[in-house]
Amino acid sequence: MGSAEEDYNFVFKVVLIGDSGVGKTNLLSRFTRNEFNHDSRTTIGVEFSTRTILVGDAMVKAQIWDTAGLERYRAITSAYYRGAVGALVVFDITKHQTYDVVDRWLKELYDHAEASIVVMLVGNKTDLAQAREVPMEEAKMFADNKGLLFVETSALDSTNVEEAFKTILKEIFYKVQKQKQRSSQSNTVSLASESPASTAPAQAERRPCCVAL
Amino acid sequence: LAHSFIKDRSKASGLPMKSKKASSFHEFARSTSDAWDIGDDEDEDFSSSSSSSLQTLNSKVAKATAAQVLENHSKLRVKPERVWSLLEEACVRSPLQKQQSLPLRPVIPLVARISDQNASGAPPMTVREKTRLEKFRQLLSSHNTDLDELRKCSWPGVPREVRPVTWRLLSGYLPANSERRKLTLQRKREEYFGFIQQYYDSRNEEHHQDTYRQIHIDIPRTNPLIPLFQQPLVQEIFERILFIWAIRHPASGYVQGINDLVTPFFVVFLSEHVEEDVENFDVTNLSQDVLRSIEADSFWCMSKLLDGIQDNYTFAQPGIQKKVKALEELVSRIDEQVHNHFRKYEVEYLQFAFRWMNNLLMRELPLRCTIRLWDTYQSEPEGFSHFHLYVCAAFLIKWRKEILDEEDFQGLLMLLQNLPTIHWGNEEIGLLLAEAYRLKYMFADAPNHYRR
Repeated sequence: MGSAEEDYNFVFKVVLIGDSGVGKTNLLSRFTRNEFNHDSRTTIGVEFSTRTILVGDAMVKAQIWDTAGLERYRAITSAYYRGAVGALVVFDITKHQTYDVVDRWLKELYDHAEASIVVMLVGNKTDLAQAREVPMEEAKMFADNKGLLFVETSALDSTNVEEAFKTILKEIFYKVQKQKQRSSQSNTVSLASESPASTAPAQAERRPCCVAL
Repeated sequence: LAHSFIKDRSKASGLPMKSKKASSFHEFARSTSDAWDIGDDEDEDFSSSSSSSLQTLNSKVAKATAAQVLENHSKLRVKPERVWSLLEEACVRSPLQKQQSLPLRPVIPLVARISDQNASGAPPMTVREKTRLEKFRQLLSSHNTDLDELRKCSWPGVPREVRPVTWRLLSGYLPANSERRKLTLQRKREEYFGFIQQYYDSRNEEHHQDTYRQIHIDIPRTNPLIPLFQQPLVQEIFERILFIWAIRHPASGYVQGINDLVTPFFVVFLSEHVEEDVENFDVTNLSQDVLRSIEADSFWCMSKLLDGIQDNYTFAQPGIQKKVKALEELVSRIDEQVHNHFRKYEVEYLQFAFRWMNNLLMRELPLRCTIRLWDTYQSEPEGFSHFHLYVCAAFLIKWRKEILDEEDFQGLLMLLQNLPTIHWGNEEIGLLLAEAYRLKYMFADAPNHYRR
């Protein structure tokens, strides 16, 4: 019965956004299945995958939503931001125009998601360094100015993919912890630890989105 | 926008009315700047003259055919179900359970064994099939093809041998009058290549750059696993078809998903010239002329199809939103248990059915099944725009056991986006269509039936 058998303490919903063709689907498949597909089909609407990792002493289930990059879908994909606690905004370091539109993606993200959402800017395709159009320093500076995490990855050769997801999940986790300390009544945080996830999966999963930061 | 759509269930009152749809789309089409398309078909009497008789034809004919299909398949039913549960365990369960154990995901076999129509091993050609083929040949060669009769014959599937010409007729591209066919084809093909000459160079101009760039990115990703579609010549054909269609329809333009819709036409029209395996065929073996006719015919037939579902691809995709909502409404009436199961685990229909509508189930089915499905869609009035909804409902309910077995949100979503149809063939599609027809018959004529 799938993931119900896993134990986990938290479910974090993370969305992948960015222009068409920057490699969102392959970042997802590299992280959740250690796969890269040269021939992946265009993502239609939204696709979904999960992976559970250990953060500190807690099992965190990352519920990752891969959205289509085409503008036309945005009216529909906006529904998918609901409940997201993290977002990877992906661009292709070899295509400057995919970096130019990061601002637009950020705007859309903040229009639809919680203000406290943890955001990471991801420059993908470092394996194509010889075709680089976006200098790392430029992107890094942009991310710093906007208060975003930043990393460069290659879904193809695996560089930094684990790190990217783990970093953002950790960041979310710490935010949740801090928030928990602030308010001892943690009824907004979805904690499954008191009742093992295997016996009551629905309880934990019903509110993956309720980790209010 | 999208939020209110999802939440706003209270207003969902009944299914879309089939008769209204066409006219409201016409109104819509007139109000958009795509109007320069209107008039294209003025000399083609097909659509107007036959549409009235379509409605009557449909309920009688399709009902009988559906009953027949159901009956024919009831005996075969046990076998495919068996195979299912086996494959399922192999293909679906294990990756679900082992999300973390790394490269263990089974390799999915070629999606499209195009030529392999009898996936589940039915005998090559029965007497009945021979008679059917004969009937088609008769209809097609008569001076004035009886389109109602052709639809009736095509509903349960068109024999491969006559599919190309049947599709041209059913889509309204080719006139029923056999004397006019040759000229019409010639004129339409010239017209298409006229567009190419006139507009294709503009793909690099600023106002069309984005459109072309997106098409260019998507073509290699359209049928990535089939060698046929990796050939430069084929990719160029797809690019031209999609670009010309997009700039002639600025109200929608190019939207991902439309690229998939060229494929069945291209494959069917190509099959006319290929004896062996289509999916591995090298198109450089064909003459320029033949390739050009395949390209133009694919363009026009795809255009006809899209005319009926253009609101799927206009801003915010209202057609899809409406249909997903209608699907939800329908399922809530025909299978409350499945519907409540989704509610319990907070699965929204949009999360899986968006793709079902946007790509007409092409992502969920092997290509051979899509081709078979389209035999029926083109024989049904508003097959692509309306009947498809019932097919989606039947498709969903087909998996009810698997759905009810999943007891969490992620399990459900993983199941719904990877439904194990890889071995499906004509039998499964026949059953699906019969069930869809039954649903349509029950609900279209009695929208309040089973109302909660």
